Amino acid sequence: MVTGLAAPPEPTARQVAGRRFRTARGVVLALAALIIVAIALAALKPTARETDLDPASPSPGGSRALAEILRQHGTPVTVARSARQAAELATSDSVTLVTRGERLTPAGIDRLRAAPGDLFLVQPTQDMLAALAPGVDEAGPSFERTGAPGCAVRAAILAGDVEFGRSETYNAPAGAASCYVSGGHPRLVQLPVGSRTVTVLGAGAPLANDMLDSAGNAALAMDVAGARASVVWLIPDLPPPGDDSGRKSLGELVPFGVKLFFLELLVAVALLALWRARRLGPVVAEALPVVVRSAETAEGRARLYRAHRARDRAADALRSGVRERLVPLLGLPRGAAQDPAAATEIVTAVALRTTHDQATVHAALYGPAPDGDAALVALSDLLDDLERQVRES
Amino acid sequence: MALTGRLGLLALLGCALPILLPSWWTLLAVWAVLAAGVAADLALAGNVRALVFHRSGDTSVRLGEPARVALTVENPGRRRVRALLRDVWPPSAGATPRTARIDVPAGERRRVDVALAPTRRGDRHAVTVAVRSAGPLGLAARQLSREAPWRVRVLPAFPSRRHLPAKLSKLRELTGNHVAMVRGQGTEFDSLREYVDGDDVRSIDWRATARRADVVVRTWRPERDRRLYLVLDTGRTSAGRVGDVPRLDCSMDAALLLGALASRAGDRVDLLAYDRRVRARVEGASRTDLLTAMVQAMAPLEPELVESDAAGMVSALLSRVRQRSLVVLLTELNEAAFEEGLLPLLPQLTARHIVMIASVADPRVAEMAASRGDLAAVYDAAAAERARAERGRLVAELRSYGVEVVDAPPDDLAPALADAYLALKAAGRL
Repeated sequence: MVTGLAAPPEPTARQVAGRRFRTARGVVLALAALIIVAIALAALKPTARETDLDPASPSPGGSRALAEILRQHGTPVTVARSARQAAELATSDSVTLVTRGERLTPAGIDRLRAAPGDLFLVQPTQDMLAALAPGVDEAGPSFERTGAPGCAVRAAILAGDVEFGRSETYNAPAGAASCYVSGGHPRLVQLPVGSRTVTVLGAGAPLANDMLDSAGNAALAMDVAGARASVVWLIPDLPPPGDDSGRKSLGELVPFGVKLFFLELLVAVALLALWRARRLGPVVAEALPVVVRSAETAEGRARLYRAHRARDRAADALRSGVRERLVPLLGLPRGAAQDPAAATEIVTAVALRTTHDQATVHAALYGPAPDGDAALVALSDLLDDLERQVRES
Repeated sequence: MALTGRLGLLALLGCALPILLPSWWTLLAVWAVLAAGVAADLALAGNVRALVFHRSGDTSVRLGEPARVALTVENPGRRRVRALLRDVWPPSAGATPRTARIDVPAGERRRVDVALAPTRRGDRHAVTVAVRSAGPLGLAARQLSREAPWRVRVLPAFPSRRHLPAKLSKLRELTGNHVAMVRGQGTEFDSLREYVDGDDVRSIDWRATARRADVVVRTWRPERDRRLYLVLDTGRTSAGRVGDVPRLDCSMDAALLLGALASRAGDRVDLLAYDRRVRARVEGASRTDLLTAMVQAMAPLEPELVESDAAGMVSALLSRVRQRSLVVLLTELNEAAFEEGLLPLLPQLTARHIVMIASVADPRVAEMAASRGDLAAVYDAAAAERARAERGRLVAELRSYGVEVVDAPPDDLAPALADAYLALKAAGRL
């Protein structure tokens, strides 16, 4: 059956879900990408904890074991929590072991440079290298777990293979001892700086509690740290919040002229805004007339008929309209159109003047409600045909 | 006061200086220069406060025709005024140009012509005149808005006036004032004249013939000095648009044609516009100013979005009109509104007056009734048939009360109403 209905068929649940997904696709993909990037960043971030390489911490990443072993072997270990303290404690016959160097301020690094005694820098920053071990540069990370000494440093030879885990490698200057080479760059560099010996180690693992018993880790750490009479273990506290000495804000870095430029730009924009904002004369508001289409009620009723598939009412209206127009053409009294008693008379008269037989005419003018949409459309065409033929007869 | 774009541009150029000479003094110097320029401009700009505005031009215009309003700017100050002027009108006044440049030397006056092309009927008031007089440097301007009141009344378009000559010649046939002197129709005795060949022998006045040697005939003419009362319904149903014209405007057009015709026919025409109260009234206007008075009264009328109060309208009519008149009610044939409102009151009205109801039929309904093809079209046709049947029933019921009903599409309403009036007049029913 051809319905001829203009309205599209109801969409299925799957189609609805698909349409909703397509409209939200962009947002969903953007969110997914954001989450993936966040996870990747979190995974790649080195998991440095507060207690790592802390000589007082018994956690796996801490270094209490090393400190205790050094003490038991007769080398006193003093823990310093600031560069100032470390510089006061250091003597010409001590080794200053610096861990968590990223917490040192530039001023602290200067103090260390001025302090006497040897230095053992574990995972130093580039600033520290520049100040304390001139000529040594970072040369990128190495992921080779273990390494063989391959140098003449006594501690390295005694320790043999050492397990590093992830480690930084360095470019060593001429005259420096390069040990545990990985990818062409050493992971341990020892060099004389003035009267002191500076040892740079690219990994914290050989000093950590959990790795101390692997390979020659303990031997290396003890030999380097315990090379002199005492050890000053510097693990700087985090600078207190608000202490930004030595750091410059963006405002201080911007030249004065540029600041004035932006101030003047602001003034210019404000002036331009004032220019555009000032109207020549007011905005005039006026009441608009209502716009109601006169045929709206008829159109609304047509849509209601359609929505409720009111074929019976629609057919009634069409039939009585045609009867009203036929009756005067047939020469019958006007009242006959709505009078059921006059039905036979009208049907006979119409059938006489048209090519249709009485049964068809009766069904068209007085029949039951059409049982389908197609039947309604056919009825309207038949009524048109009847009216046309009577008019032309 | 108003700033100009030139000032902003200058300030932008000034941005470069502090980079070249980074000092507070540079910036302060730039600002000082700008401020000095603004101050100089404000001091030297023509004085807008002293300007005097005069208006002249059209005060009324038919809808659809252009109007001209002149604004004369007089400068009694001592300095020349070079300024940008905007004559502010409501948007529906269609004022052009939007702004004009004026250059008025001291002690002289200049005229600015504003062309109005109104888009709607009603009164259009000039809102204000804004003048911006820039200084010699063009950095700042003095600006002021001043009242210069003027009103342009936009009158109904009256497009059906083209039907008037045809209807008047029909009227002349009725009255016997035609070039070919035939016996006029009507019942009122007009005059006696000599018999000429072709005169109806039934109109020979034997008594007068006996007194004279000639055969004398009586002539008749339609009744004169009858009263017409035109009632415009301005309630909610008059707001409905047929095509793009509100029903009220179609009704006005028909009322104007009927008024013009009836006043020429020697009848007295009154007008009442009513919804819940009297919106406009024209009573006792002389034949010559009737049309002007009607048009002026109709111009500001707008459809009110309230249900019309039929009882109030009927009582207003009955209290006002003592003499038997033709009451022409221009309204919408809405079954629901009529059954509750006017229908029960019609006997009161028809007992004393002849009542005629004129209504605009919507061609869209006829178009819908003829639509065929798919299901939606057939339902449209059914709904339109239903609307027509309801209207037909209402018309039949009104006719049973003895009311004349004129129901025609917008273009035909005015001539159809005029014809109905002429038919009544010919039949001597007034």
